[in-house]
Amino acid sequence: MHKYVIRRLLLAIPVLLLSSLIVFGLMRVMPGDALTALMAESGNVGERELRKLREDLGLGRPYHEQYLIWLWQLVSLNPGYSIFTNEPIAAALGKSIPVTIELATLAMLLGLVIAIPVGVLSATRADKPADYVGRVVAVSGLSLPDFWLGTLVITFAALWLHWIPPLGYASLWESPWRNLQQFLLPAAVLGFRLSAATMRMTRSTVLEVLREDYVRTAWAKGLEGRIVVYKHALKNALIPVVTIVGGQLGTLLAGTVVVETIFALPGMGRLTVEAILFRDYPVVQTNVMLVATTLVTLNLLVDLTYAWLDPRIHYQ
Amino acid sequence: MPTDRPVALRQRVNRREFLRRAGWGGAGMGVLIVGAGRARLSAQPVSPYPDWIPPSSKPPKPGGVLTRASSWDPPVLDPRLTQSIGLFQFAALTSNRLVRYAFADEASGTNDLTLKGDLAESWQSSPDHRVWTFKLRQGVKWHNVPPLNGRELVAADVKHCFEAYAKEGVQSFTFREIEGMETPDKHTLRVHLQSPNVLFPQNLAEPITVIFAREVLEEDGDLKKRLIGTGPYLLKEHTRKVRVVLARNPDYFDKGRPYVDEYTILSTPDAATRLAAFRTGQSDILWLASLGEVETVRKTNPAAVVQEYKNVLAPFGLALAQDKPPFNDVRVRRAISMAVDRQKQVDTLFEGHGIPGWGVPYIYYQDKMPTLAQLGPWWQHRPSEAKKLLAEAGHANGFETTLFYYEYFPQMTSQVQLVQQDLKRNLNINVKITKLDYTTYYGRYVESKWDGMAWGFQSGHAVGLDERTYQYMHSKSTKNFFRVNDPLIDELTTKLRQTPDRGEQRTIARKIVDREYDQVLRMWMPYDNGFLVFQPHVRNMAALALRRTDGYGASAIARLWLDK
Repeated sequence: MHKYVIRRLLLAIPVLLLSSLIVFGLMRVMPGDALTALMAESGNVGERELRKLREDLGLGRPYHEQYLIWLWQLVSLNPGYSIFTNEPIAAALGKSIPVTIELATLAMLLGLVIAIPVGVLSATRADKPADYVGRVVAVSGLSLPDFWLGTLVITFAALWLHWIPPLGYASLWESPWRNLQQFLLPAAVLGFRLSAATMRMTRSTVLEVLREDYVRTAWAKGLEGRIVVYKHALKNALIPVVTIVGGQLGTLLAGTVVVETIFALPGMGRLTVEAILFRDYPVVQTNVMLVATTLVTLNLLVDLTYAWLDPRIHYQ
Repeated sequence: MPTDRPVALRQRVNRREFLRRAGWGGAGMGVLIVGAGRARLSAQPVSPYPDWIPPSSKPPKPGGVLTRASSWDPPVLDPRLTQSIGLFQFAALTSNRLVRYAFADEASGTNDLTLKGDLAESWQSSPDHRVWTFKLRQGVKWHNVPPLNGRELVAADVKHCFEAYAKEGVQSFTFREIEGMETPDKHTLRVHLQSPNVLFPQNLAEPITVIFAREVLEEDGDLKKRLIGTGPYLLKEHTRKVRVVLARNPDYFDKGRPYVDEYTILSTPDAATRLAAFRTGQSDILWLASLGEVETVRKTNPAAVVQEYKNVLAPFGLALAQDKPPFNDVRVRRAISMAVDRQKQVDTLFEGHGIPGWGVPYIYYQDKMPTLAQLGPWWQHRPSEAKKLLAEAGHANGFETTLFYYEYFPQMTSQVQLVQQDLKRNLNINVKITKLDYTTYYGRYVESKWDGMAWGFQSGHAVGLDERTYQYMHSKSTKNFFRVNDPLIDELTTKLRQTPDRGEQRTIARKIVDREYDQVLRMWMPYDNGFLVFQPHVRNMAALALRRTDGYGASAIARLWLDK
């Protein structure tokens, strides 16, 4: 097991290096730079002055030099400063990461709380009205885009309830009640979308497991239906569900970009998108690397979860 | 045999015939649609909302908190490095300028261009308009925070600030025309210009020319972290992408003002969320682009106060590489201009509430807003004449060209496509459109590294006459993005800078505009008007013609009060 983990961690190094090269290259391929964005609408800055400012910001150095400097900063856990705002990137991330983690965690929890019971209910009442309702909900969740659902939710909350989440982010420690109000709707929007795929997967795997011999044996032994479904069937049905949930993490992070914008939350999604628009190379690169590292780690954790869910699985 | 012919006809409707008939059908529908549009021309919806709201006659009530959900975020706090509305939506409240335009509660109407003293009490020029002397107010104090600690503002502070602006950054163009400065005493600043400019005080009244504290620049090396000024509000909090909080400055020189204790700007990038915030009372001010949106808001908030904001200029137009063929031929420019149906754009894109487009604010040369007909023959939609003119220029079969743009607002893509269709249909000019992201667009546009066409712009922060004439049209100006190179324009814009009489200025401005229209030097496109919507308790908030209260005209918020 330990060897397996170490091997996976070592394999992650070339993956991350490749990611760093790709993101570094892509940012340089895009035309324009942070300085152009910063000077936007001014129209007063001459080409000579722009060149000087670019050199001051290190944008005039050869690409390989820029890459190595950035890589060293990353390894030494000091990603440097934002070109656009001059704010230390670590400080910007320190403010935005907790927002995204909170949003993603709440969304994931809400998604699972909806998806697993509804999926099981759909499976145990297959082709009955409850199943149809569950399937309709799942298909809706898959087909409604986040931006549409988010806009709809905030518009109708204002129209019907004359209430929307209070604007102006407050942290969980600063004002828990205000924070909860701010996160509940966006998490519900994200969670609803996440729950759809999980719900469908739970339904189909539970249906499959319910047809297995050992489940029939459990029924034959006269066990209570709840125990058969939740203790014997569900645990074995969860492996593909965990895979789906693990795979959705990328979708979840992408979804936060839109939802954070609609609900005015200062998370990583907004930070990254704005950094891309303003060609803030160090911020984009650092954020992408952070996401890549998170995904690699979470995928490893998902793989390790299999062994916990199914004792027959061993890693060597 | 009566049944044979229809059968035979049906048999002959092959793919080609079907497409031909479908084409005629489509054309017929097009005529109907255009016809419907034309019918609407004579019955354009009239806005029921006033374009001017007079100041309240009641005595102002001090106190309260004003909140606004804003789409803009300041990129940096350093006014030398950006002209972004994100910064100047509040920098004009933390800081002052030497001079300013009249506020709504002092103005006679939206077009009142009277200059008032801000930090300067009075100002005058030498007979040759090369030396300007500003007498500063006495007893103006910097904000009572370290390192200024409420010390008095002196002329040397302004001198240092102007020198820093000239040295580097986005404002250098305005301040580099300063040859030298002297401070004969604590409260007098004498500015020597390189060439005469009667409009220099107007340039200093632009919202971006705020006076910053030299101590901050000396201590921090830049102005990115702290914004300390002499203005009516202190910057209490700036949390990026969350909020900007301004607190009333109790030591402000204009005693009794500002009235509102705190002004909070909430970063809200999504339009639907800003609308919802206004509806639920979380935001006191809202900008809407269309009458339809206003009517929707009024259904839930019937007491909301609405001001129609009529634009005095269009910020966007078709920029042509007029230093190169084929656009260096005036006949080609005129033909293109006549091939474009501007009225159709106003009707279809802006619900009939738009201006046909011009670059110099009309208030500088006439009292009433020009009509499309007044813009001259080359600005009318005359496709057949356009075709003849293009043929005379040697392009009877049209030509191919490119156009790049950035979608500043949702209708812009449709607007660009309408121009593309007009040029193809009327002149057989094939325009290949490229939509770019902002940074790419901006970089390519301002660095003039393009051929063909661009969807050009002029920036929105500065509206002074000098800015809109000399700075944007003189061939030697760095802001001449439309690549105007016309000796008469150069002569007139220079002459304007040497003409102190307002009446003569209007005459010269008129000549500049006439020349621009005649030579189609900048091909302005229609632009929408908009609406400022306020909660019913907000008083003295009306926007003047040149600036919106929620944007570059934010300094007006110092005069606003809440009737709660």
